[in-house]
Amino acid sequence: MRLLLDRFPEIVSDLWTDEDTVEVQVPRDRVVDTLRTLRDDGDFGFFLLADAAAVDYGPRNWFEVVYHLYSDRHPGWLRIRVRVDRQDPRTPTVTDLWEGAMFHEREMYDMMGIVFEGNRDLRRIYMSPDYKSFPQRKDFLLPDDAADSAAAGVNPLERPETWQLDRFQQSAAPAVAIPAAESQSVEAGKTMASETRPR
Amino acid sequence: MDWTLLLGIGRFILATTLLLLLTIPTAFVVIQMELKIIALMQLRIGPNRVGPGGMFQSTIHGFKVLAKEDTVPDQADRATFTMAPWMVYMAAAMSMLVIPFAPGLVAFDSKISVVYFFAVLGLSVVGLLVAGWASYNKYSLLGGLRSAAQMVSYEIPLTLSVVGVVVLTGSLSFTEIIAWQLHHGWAFLPQILILPVFFIAATAEINRAPFDMVEADSELVAGPFTEYSGMRFGFFFFAEYVALFIMSTILVTLFFGGWLAPWPFPAQLGGFIGTIYGLFWFFLKAYIFVFVAVWMRATLPRLRVDQLMGMAWKVLLPLALVNLFVTAIVVVVGKL
Amino acid sequence: MTAVDPEVRIPDPLDTERDDEARLRAAAGLDLPRAAGRAEYAGFETVGLPDRPPQTERERQLFTLDEGEMLVNMGPQHPSTHGVMRLLVKVRGEVITDIDPVLGYLHRGIEKLCENATYTTVLTYVDPMDYLSAMHNEHAPAIAFEKLYGIEVPRRAEYIRALVVELNRVFSHGLMMGFLALDMGGLTPILYGFINRDEVVDLLSAISGQRMLFNFFRVGGVNWDVNDEFLSRLGKWRSHVLDNIAMNERLLTENEIFRARTRGMGILDGRRAVQLGVTGPNLRASGVPFDVRRAHPYSIYPELEFEVITQQTGDVYARYLQRIAEIKQSIRLIDQIVDRMPHGPVQAQVPGIIRPRPGRAYAAIESPRGLYSVYAISDGSATPYRFRMRDPSFISLQALPTLMPGHLIADTMAIMASFDPVMGGVDK
Repeated sequence: MRLLLDRFPEIVSDLWTDEDTVEVQVPRDRVVDTLRTLRDDGDFGFFLLADAAAVDYGPRNWFEVVYHLYSDRHPGWLRIRVRVDRQDPRTPTVTDLWEGAMFHEREMYDMMGIVFEGNRDLRRIYMSPDYKSFPQRKDFLLPDDAADSAAAGVNPLERPETWQLDRFQQSAAPAVAIPAAESQSVEAGKTMASETRPR
Repeated sequence: MDWTLLLGIGRFILATTLLLLLTIPTAFVVIQMELKIIALMQLRIGPNRVGPGGMFQSTIHGFKVLAKEDTVPDQADRATFTMAPWMVYMAAAMSMLVIPFAPGLVAFDSKISVVYFFAVLGLSVVGLLVAGWASYNKYSLLGGLRSAAQMVSYEIPLTLSVVGVVVLTGSLSFTEIIAWQLHHGWAFLPQILILPVFFIAATAEINRAPFDMVEADSELVAGPFTEYSGMRFGFFFFAEYVALFIMSTILVTLFFGGWLAPWPFPAQLGGFIGTIYGLFWFFLKAYIFVFVAVWMRATLPRLRVDQLMGMAWKVLLPLALVNLFVTAIVVVVGKL
Repeated sequence: MTAVDPEVRIPDPLDTERDDEARLRAAAGLDLPRAAGRAEYAGFETVGLPDRPPQTERERQLFTLDEGEMLVNMGPQHPSTHGVMRLLVKVRGEVITDIDPVLGYLHRGIEKLCENATYTTVLTYVDPMDYLSAMHNEHAPAIAFEKLYGIEVPRRAEYIRALVVELNRVFSHGLMMGFLALDMGGLTPILYGFINRDEVVDLLSAISGQRMLFNFFRVGGVNWDVNDEFLSRLGKWRSHVLDNIAMNERLLTENEIFRARTRGMGILDGRRAVQLGVTGPNLRASGVPFDVRRAHPYSIYPELEFEVITQQTGDVYARYLQRIAEIKQSIRLIDQIVDRMPHGPVQAQVPGIIRPRPGRAYAAIESPRGLYSVYAISDGSATPYRFRMRDPSFISLQALPTLMPGHLIADTMAIMASFDPVMGGVDK
């Protein structure tokens, strides 16, 4: 951790730790350099990309791409968070560093709609190629049947009739991936999921 | 009116009908054996619902395929697609014509029955290839081509290993080969080296595990049979098991004395009793080798297609040639 | 023959109009009416090409066929794709030139479901992911949620967790041996593997109540305690499990055909395996001693003795041997766990609806297929804000396109089975 502070002075403010994880935030344009240094430098030796995930901070209007790295020289996991603008979700790819990031990035693109620039194979991985929406975004709602589950009523996002439509729209104009037609259908009281079902 | 000719024709028709009728129960019995024996080897119970001890499971399977819908793929070549199962099945059934089941019990006692047998059995490759091509399916095509490559390659060591016996006995007729074995003892003793070659090549020739490249269910779904359903598939299925039985009978005929008993056969025991006695030993020995084939299927994983071809050309063929030369030299030296 | 015009524009991934089919078909020159009926053979070269322009560079490369190449779809309905997986295989004769796994046939959106479920119910949703190692699936979220909530798990619960997890590993690895043989045409080992599995599953269902999706872990402990009857059954199982494994091993390990088909096949060297994110037994078979149980210990593993075994060759045979060696290590671990199991409660005091403080937690465990990790974010409510699972077999599948080319169709199944992917986990 001390090493991180020495080598990357500009991230000091964003550093955070818990019992077994060191977490830093890296600006989007520096992420590939940082990860390369972390991987190749003998002091760090984070050779394994344990996980790469995307998080949708919908209300705050950004995505986060989170990389977890493992090194045999340091006791904890290293978590790199990269903030991506929600209006224009583009971030550089790390497939040049770890080829194994390919499926991670394809999944993030499929589920969240984050575009990894430079990725040779940014296709849908789970959904069909003609699918339009990005299902794991927070403004993608589950169909109504989930409202009957034990968790019903716990999360208002689950039931569109209880959902306050202005919750996102005040913070974000319809996000990139939501075509205007779908936003309107939500306003018309339909569930989005039924509209965006793959054909 | 030439009564002999008419009699001959009548005898031939009777024999072919009986043999065709024989294939069906044979297939049922072999399939049932396989179901039960593999189940035993895999510590399972196996079929036990239809009939006493599940005896009629394979029979029910046979009738089931009759009741199934016969589908033809949209783009398939309908004429050849329909013909292919018949070619495969008839190749197997026709080759039974020359097999001597018991003293005097042979449908077509030709002087060159060995040649006839291998020629007719080789026809089934045409059926498989046609089936693979006509199905308009990539798996079928690959399976058909594999079957062509495999069966053509394996016919050479198979036939060459038989030539050893032919040279030894000096005859191309199955009945005469058995007659030779009656006087000189079973042929597998002088031909002990070639027996494994023959067995491997025969197993490969009829596409049995571990050489079932053609079907290869984990790779090619079902090979040339992928698009077949109903009784058309049933014919392929029957042909496979009938061929297994036929290969066992040929192995028995060539190397293990055919219908001869393990001890000196009472040659004078003619007539009906002799026929039954011969049939008993013939079927017993044949089913022993069916059992061995089933055993192999339960035990061994499948070979890869290139290893299979390599084995045919690099191992079996030289062995068969060496055996042929040694046999020929021994026979010639013995006659001097 | 070039099946797809290289001049076709690769669309912007975020262009939501991109599936406007008519426009794209026109752009690709594909809007001509198709030859109808069965008038003539189309030839196998062009069959299977998608009727839309490629979306990426890689897709264009995949769908561009050279002379004599054809595309074969293996799956989703195929006897041996380990579930509903589709391999798009480009072959020249029988030699594979390119391969692309197409996923998503079993995608259930478990991550999304979990984000809409309470912390307790998440543990039931993750069960059917990697259905051959359901215990491991529950282990990682349980650890992550405990980190989020900040509770200590009772010692006895930790021991029971380790016990059931290792039992699960035994049958999962045992089944892999069988599946590998089955995909190479050996019929019997899979049934012996299932005998072994059934014995373990009977044990696990005795303790958890379910046979396949155990639903045994709870946040802060486990659902049920073990009792003496369970331990005596465990001892009985322990006395013959190695014989069962050996019975299977005798069929395969020294089998000439099996060795000929697996040795030197699909060689993955360690550096490349790390690059590709391959973990678990597959990585260790390539000579990299990375085991989360040792590299980043969790639960009670620091207290137990076991070896991280590696193989050197990294081929299918090494991956197979690695599984057998790990079964033996797991049984060694089970012995130690049973010996040292302390007394006490098995469940910490946890409220009915768990509302952790806002925060983030990452938990990784060693599942039978590799590093299985969970990244959970809490926003203070009763449901996780984000619940991310990294399934090892999903990532391991990436190794297929680098390993397959040059091998035969028959080897695809052997190589794939050696990675032991479970489609429930791959497709989440």
